[in-house]
Amino acid sequence: MFTELLVCLVIGGLIFLVQRSRKQVLIAEDGWWGPGAPPDEGEDVTILPFQVSTSDKELEDLYMRIDQTRPVPSLEDSQFSYGFNSQYLQKVVSYWRHDFDWRGQVDKLNQYPHFKTNIEGINIHYLHMKPKNVPAGSIAIPLIMIHGWPGSFYEFYGLIPLLTEPTDPHDLVFEVVCPSIPGYGFSEAPQKKGFDSVCAAHIFHKLMQRLGFEQFYAHGGDWGWLVTTNMAQLKPKTVRGLHVNFAPPSKPGLPIALSIMLGRRFPKLFGFTEVDVQRLYPCMDKLVVESIKESGYMHIQATKPDTVGRGLNDSPVGLAAYVLEKFSTWTSRDFRNLEDGGLTRKFSLDDLLTNVMIYWTSGCIVSSMRFYKENFGKGLDAPHSKMPVFVPTGFACFPNELMHTPKLWVKQKYRELVTFTAMARGGHFAAMEEPQLMAEDIQKFVKLVEKKKQQ
Amino acid sequence: MERLQVLKGTFCSLDAFQKQLLIGSAVAAGGILAYMVQKRRQVRSIPLGEGWWGAGEKPLSEDDKIYPFKVQTSDEEIEDLHERIDRTRYADPLEDSCFLYGFNSTHLKKVVSYWRHTFDWKKQVEVLNKYPHFKTKIEGLDVHFIHVRPPHRDNQKVLPLMLVHGWPGSFYEFYKMMPLLTENQDGLVFEVICPSIPGYGFSEASHKQGFNSLAAARIFLTLMERLGFSQFYLQGGDWGSLITTNMAQMKPQCVKGLHLNMCMSNKGFKVMLSLIIGPYLPFLVGLSREDVDRLFPFFEKNVWEMLQESGYLHIQATKPDTAGCGANDSPVGLAAYILEKFSTWTDNRNRDLADGGLERKFSLDDLLTNVMIYWTTGSIVSSMRFYKENFKENLNNRVDAKTGIFVPTGLAAFPNELFHCPKSWAQIRYRNIQSYNYMPRGGHFAAFEEPQLLANDFVQFVKKVEKF
Repeated sequence: MFTELLVCLVIGGLIFLVQRSRKQVLIAEDGWWGPGAPPDEGEDVTILPFQVSTSDKELEDLYMRIDQTRPVPSLEDSQFSYGFNSQYLQKVVSYWRHDFDWRGQVDKLNQYPHFKTNIEGINIHYLHMKPKNVPAGSIAIPLIMIHGWPGSFYEFYGLIPLLTEPTDPHDLVFEVVCPSIPGYGFSEAPQKKGFDSVCAAHIFHKLMQRLGFEQFYAHGGDWGWLVTTNMAQLKPKTVRGLHVNFAPPSKPGLPIALSIMLGRRFPKLFGFTEVDVQRLYPCMDKLVVESIKESGYMHIQATKPDTVGRGLNDSPVGLAAYVLEKFSTWTSRDFRNLEDGGLTRKFSLDDLLTNVMIYWTSGCIVSSMRFYKENFGKGLDAPHSKMPVFVPTGFACFPNELMHTPKLWVKQKYRELVTFTAMARGGHFAAMEEPQLMAEDIQKFVKLVEKKKQQ
Repeated sequence: MERLQVLKGTFCSLDAFQKQLLIGSAVAAGGILAYMVQKRRQVRSIPLGEGWWGAGEKPLSEDDKIYPFKVQTSDEEIEDLHERIDRTRYADPLEDSCFLYGFNSTHLKKVVSYWRHTFDWKKQVEVLNKYPHFKTKIEGLDVHFIHVRPPHRDNQKVLPLMLVHGWPGSFYEFYKMMPLLTENQDGLVFEVICPSIPGYGFSEASHKQGFNSLAAARIFLTLMERLGFSQFYLQGGDWGSLITTNMAQMKPQCVKGLHLNMCMSNKGFKVMLSLIIGPYLPFLVGLSREDVDRLFPFFEKNVWEMLQESGYLHIQATKPDTAGCGANDSPVGLAAYILEKFSTWTDNRNRDLADGGLERKFSLDDLLTNVMIYWTTGSIVSSMRFYKENFKENLNNRVDAKTGIFVPTGLAAFPNELFHCPKSWAQIRYRNIQSYNYMPRGGHFAAFEEPQLLANDFVQFVKKVEKF
């Protein structure tokens, strides 16, 4: 009896261990996201150059709508706690109406080459910047950078030159591809239900393949974090390294739960630094209450995207308030107590409004919101959220990120964490807010991974 | 007998100190018991409080006159609306998504086409004006209300009644019910006051933070006082249900009866217990068969459903200014936002229909009139702020959540209401339920959708209270 029990336990334990160490691979199938049924002929793989353009008509329409805004004054002394403050919104809109130069910004957008190509029935937009000078004896390292919501490829504009033309001769030179997630900006929106982050990852793999890259690095924040993570899970051999600045735990397991309960008393046990303790505790307030305060948008977008986006596609001011509120609050929570939401402390109005214009001119707010429903609509239990990542990963931990993740938590999912850097400053839109810091961390990470691979 | 002898024996064998202890604790226990029983009998109320919500500083005196008011419109207003409708930038819905992603764009175009070309706002304004409207200043805000006096008063008992609406509804929801309450001649008839919650429709919105249901309740009590009513009935659903409940808690002596078509149940041990035992032994925890049908499977029917349908509540309770901004410029955006609720909250199976089942229970004219009330007054943002003001602090810890309601109460449980509240759960707080009926059909907007059913239930409740 006893020996049988022992044998069962041993076999059971072995099976458990084998299961754990088996590298799970995520699988994705080809989809068809265009209208109707897929055509009989094969896929059209041509790549067409694309230019962002505008017209007098577009601008006149925008100005007319701005002029017809019906503003509602904010409550006395409410700053940004009820959402985007009405009085400050008037100032932003006045700048937008009279001083913002959209044509100038369109030229700025076009400074990098843009392209479109049809994958799985939808036209995918991306920019592709090849470095001008690659030092002799080395090659440009391919890197795909993926944005999130309510951002766009434009968030990376400050970062791109630091990677393609680094000033330091010891730095690596990158070849950068920045796509727009389908349904965002100049990428066509899917017409069928079910387009989630894994489908986006699958499409971006096809894109990189079509561009001739066998291996590449990936960087992302917000949705970009999830899509690049899925890319690493789909094809671990193709993704040479994964660099993210946002990594909320998708499946709180025992180590995370324990660390929350005991981490304050025994920080060293869980590798918590002072910053970790400060940002996580009191945990009811910092983790639960704060999340509830800031996730209303996520809740409604994950359930009724077509309803909430409806008015925003007609009212540019409504769209601006909705989008820019995030650039205020997600850069620093303290900005909620400021009359002007601290909006222009880290960003210029030109950059902020250019991002809003990408949503406005492409009319993509509704499809951008649908991505939330496709990913969260059935709960947080997708197969990929339970699978770890075995690709070398670098994590840049910015102090004002929405969800603070200490090293222990990141390691639960990213089993080959190569770098974990506590960044000096910056919030959720880190690439746009602190491009220099981000570039430095990407350099540090990639150099380390390359060195390891050569050994 | 033997036991008594044994007890007597034990008692006598105790020493003096032990005897004193025993007698002392028996008296104390009896005292505590008596106190508890007496406390339960006391009618508890919540404090009235005070507030001032106007712009800037409060003046020394306030004008408390009542001014007649007429709903008006102009050609400019209608032209502006049409222009904005014409400029709508639609996005195609996903194939086969019906109303699962929110208001379906394809159907929205049809509704909007009717709105643009067939809907006659001037005519609807006349419909609105068929009852007399008034405004009066209370706590710094212009409060709008309609006051309907029954035409046949002789040989009838005339009872004053206030009806309070919710979100995204308005006083207009009660228009179909009005004649059923004011024009009958069978001995019992009502004089109806129907206000707009400050921040909704024609009632001025608060300029200060903190305007919650307690403030609205107090303002409406002042209104009834100003109109000369010392005792009256109340009826409400949605926010109206909470506000009228608060009114009954603040001045129970004034409220003859409280009738609700939506009732929030406290989460508590009793509720949890009935959730666990309910599916198996419903009668043990005070649940009827009908209750069981409507409640279980609990997780799917209530929790998951709630999550699916409460996104609007979450964003309005946190960022109302952001959420409402675009809806105040885009009439189509506003219509989609509001009418989605009239579809889904009437019957949540409407989500699987391509047209959202919108016109099965309502006419487009009625639905759009309600939307126009929000549009022409630009009140969508202030209407959303009410959510934040009420959910700022944990609702379960607020003074009204911890206090019972002791006035005679009637509950009408509609089958497609957002969540079902069985009588046993309602009784936790509503201690004087005199009528509880399962309605055969109808959803959240009961007065709008099934005016006859609601009016019948209400009248039957009043008759019970009045011992008619």
